[in-house]
Amino acid sequence: MDYWKSKEQRLEEDRVDEVLELIWMLIEDGEATVENIARKSEDPQVSPLLKDIESFGLISIDHHSGKVAFKETGKGRAEQIIRRHRIAERLLSEVFEVEERQIEDHACELEHTHVLGQVVVDSICTFLGHPPTCPHGKVIPRGECCKKFSLDVKPLVGSLTDLRIGEEAKIVFISSKYHARLDRLSSLGIIPGSVIRLHQKQPTYVIRIGETELALDKDLAKEIFVKKI
Amino acid sequence: MHDHGTEAIKAGEKIIIVGNPNVGKSVIFGLLTGRYADVSNYPGTTVTLTTGSYNMGGVDTQVIDTPGVNTLIPMSEDEVVTRDILINEPAKQIIQVVDAKNLSRGLVISIQLAEMGLPFVLVLNMWDEANSRGINIDVEKLAAAIGTMVIPTVGVERKGIKELREALYKRTFPSIAINYGEAIEAGIRRLEPLLPEVKSKRAISLMLLAGDESLKPWLKGHVGIIDITKIESIRHDIQDKYYEPLGYIINQIRVKRCEKVIADVMSKSQTDRSPIMVHLGNWAMHPVWGIPVLLAVLFLTYEFVGVFGAQTLVDLLEHKLFGSYINPSMTKVVTLLTSDTFFRDLLIGEYGIITMALTYSIAIILPIVGTFFIAFGILEDSGYLPRLAMMVNKIFKLMGLHGKAALPMVLGLGCDTMATLTARIMETRKERVIVTLLLALGVPCSAQLGVILGMLGGISFYVTLLWIFIVVLVLFLVGFVASKVIKGESSDFVFDIPPFRVPILSNILFKTLSRIKWYLKEAVPLFILGTLILFTLDKTGVLKVIEAGASPIVVGFLGLPRKATGAFLIGFLRRDYGAAGLYALAEAGELTPNQILVSLVTITLFVPCVANSMVMIKERGLKTAVAIMAFIFPFAFLVGGVLNFVLNGLGIKL
Repeated sequence: MDYWKSKEQRLEEDRVDEVLELIWMLIEDGEATVENIARKSEDPQVSPLLKDIESFGLISIDHHSGKVAFKETGKGRAEQIIRRHRIAERLLSEVFEVEERQIEDHACELEHTHVLGQVVVDSICTFLGHPPTCPHGKVIPRGECCKKFSLDVKPLVGSLTDLRIGEEAKIVFISSKYHARLDRLSSLGIIPGSVIRLHQKQPTYVIRIGETELALDKDLAKEIFVKKI
Repeated sequence: MHDHGTEAIKAGEKIIIVGNPNVGKSVIFGLLTGRYADVSNYPGTTVTLTTGSYNMGGVDTQVIDTPGVNTLIPMSEDEVVTRDILINEPAKQIIQVVDAKNLSRGLVISIQLAEMGLPFVLVLNMWDEANSRGINIDVEKLAAAIGTMVIPTVGVERKGIKELREALYKRTFPSIAINYGEAIEAGIRRLEPLLPEVKSKRAISLMLLAGDESLKPWLKGHVGIIDITKIESIRHDIQDKYYEPLGYIINQIRVKRCEKVIADVMSKSQTDRSPIMVHLGNWAMHPVWGIPVLLAVLFLTYEFVGVFGAQTLVDLLEHKLFGSYINPSMTKVVTLLTSDTFFRDLLIGEYGIITMALTYSIAIILPIVGTFFIAFGILEDSGYLPRLAMMVNKIFKLMGLHGKAALPMVLGLGCDTMATLTARIMETRKERVIVTLLLALGVPCSAQLGVILGMLGGISFYVTLLWIFIVVLVLFLVGFVASKVIKGESSDFVFDIPPFRVPILSNILFKTLSRIKWYLKEAVPLFILGTLILFTLDKTGVLKVIEAGASPIVVGFLGLPRKATGAFLIGFLRRDYGAAGLYALAEAGELTPNQILVSLVTITLFVPCVANSMVMIKERGLKTAVAIMAFIFPFAFLVGGVLNFVLNGLGIKL
């Protein structure tokens, strides 16, 4: 997080980020041109800004066709923005269960470098199990953390229902909207940090925690998120 | 013994037994008081409070066996009861029973007892099971960590009870304490001055912070309205500092602390436990193998109750004992004693107390009920019932219930009245009402079942299946509709499955005896009363009038002979008794197979008996109970009538 930068610098940076993000998405859907960038951008000063970005060496503009392409550094930066945005979407929708229409706004805030640093993004990515796509199905660019993990891309944290029978896992969090349910589970020893073993899934879930075997409904099992050990 | 107890027992001070569900509290209670309470595997069977008396150094001290709890921040009716007892009753000594295999769940309660400022003795029960699983607990270290005495026991084998008796003389207050972190501790400090002078201020503050609704009535009795508002706002202040509910956070801190204690005192070594019981236990809840196990259990139960109890034993008692010895000799005695036909009929006539009421209740009902309770006791103590609950969970979910409801339903096959009492294990009102309704509507008790199976078996196996199918279908449909109509919530299905065990014979016999005693005390007077009513109606000619009055329904709608009215009339009192009346008619050849099926379906759907109605009123309230009964009786006739029309309409001759 770049605390040392002034507010104006950050604002300027954010504007550049927004345009780079737009270019990325336009290329994803076909091609990016000066024309469709100008049409889709929310920035009132998008044309001079594009020229600035070109002069920073981030993009190249073909002045005949108006086609916009990334240069090496620009592509890297855009990739990070997209990655942050889509990882943020995933986090908000899956873990915090933020409503669909609010996700976009928050994700836009979170996508900027000064909000979520690389280390944090990678941790979130790992936490979510290196998701390949955002909730809308678009590809999330791979980060360093995913490459280390590339051989075996399985989520680190998943619902209890994703465990295989006989697997052991540690409870990471329980996402229930019902307080009574949390209270009841915690009184049975089901709290984050407890180690459980999945015994069976049918006809109901059975987990083993310490020397206790507990039967529970799938509805409940779905809300218990665990990390395999 | 005076050198033991430094403190004399004050009047009214009690010994209170607490602990998680299924840890053997009732066994310890039984060993102390000598009076047998219900011991079983299923969570929550100690639904009613059991109290007894224990001679403590020459002083009779009351012992209370409380319902099992997992936390003293209550989440169910049972837990409220236990918590309230701990707050309100003057305790001489508390015995906390813990399953030695599941120490951590027990310690969570120990911590809460410590916070309440209560003295206790920690009993590590099922010490043998823990050992056989390779769990070693350092008793002295544990005692030092909590600050109370710790006694390992094996309740069912009476091991460690002598040590427990000794330990009871000494009151030791636990020293274990938790710091909940600055925010929560600050909340406790702000709450404590608002509370009345009680020992357990810290514990009550924590309950209030955790948002314990069940404490409200107590609060209203002890704290002014202004302070209640203050308490609410303090709670909100503290809750605002956390994302998760405070109750959950407090629980988490407690569990973590327990785990720390356990890491110091417990070690695990290689186990050499017999794998057969483990495998059996696993098969019994396996998605595929669980079904043959279930069928095998049903078959064995049927062989034992339906064949051995209802046929062999009934035959022995009814025909041999009563038919050949008691009734003829009683008839002789009565004939000798009195020549008055009124008294003769009263005792030995068609509706006679000896020939009808006693023969019926002792010769027919007793063997069936007895064998059923033995079978049920074995299922309970072996740990099969919770596994059964798992297997049927999905079906019950369609009726707004879950697998836990299987326990009252199965028990209902023994005695619906008893089962209505155990409906308390269901957590929400909606669930309890549905269970009560279904029990009253269509779960035949073993007495009735015996009579019915006897009658249907006489026709054919398929008719028996048809009867089962119709009753189950009606139950299911009513349950399904009830789950939509009755307002309220359903609870979560989560409970612990005890290990599969070989039941101990003496425990089962004890339990069966106390259940039979209960049953006879409840049933026999009703049989006699019912017989007397029938006798009176018959003698005064009122029976004929009622038969005439009811004939449009009985004869017209149900297509039955007029005489069946008497059976239905008595069915209002006890439906198995009504079924017995039908049995007599069928034996006399006055019912066709079609009529037998129609009449049996109708009587099966009656409210079981007067005692059941009383329990319904007591447990569910007058309004709900009356509503249930007002639905059931017309509905029973409706189903019977529809069945009659369908059979006739399709021209089916069974």
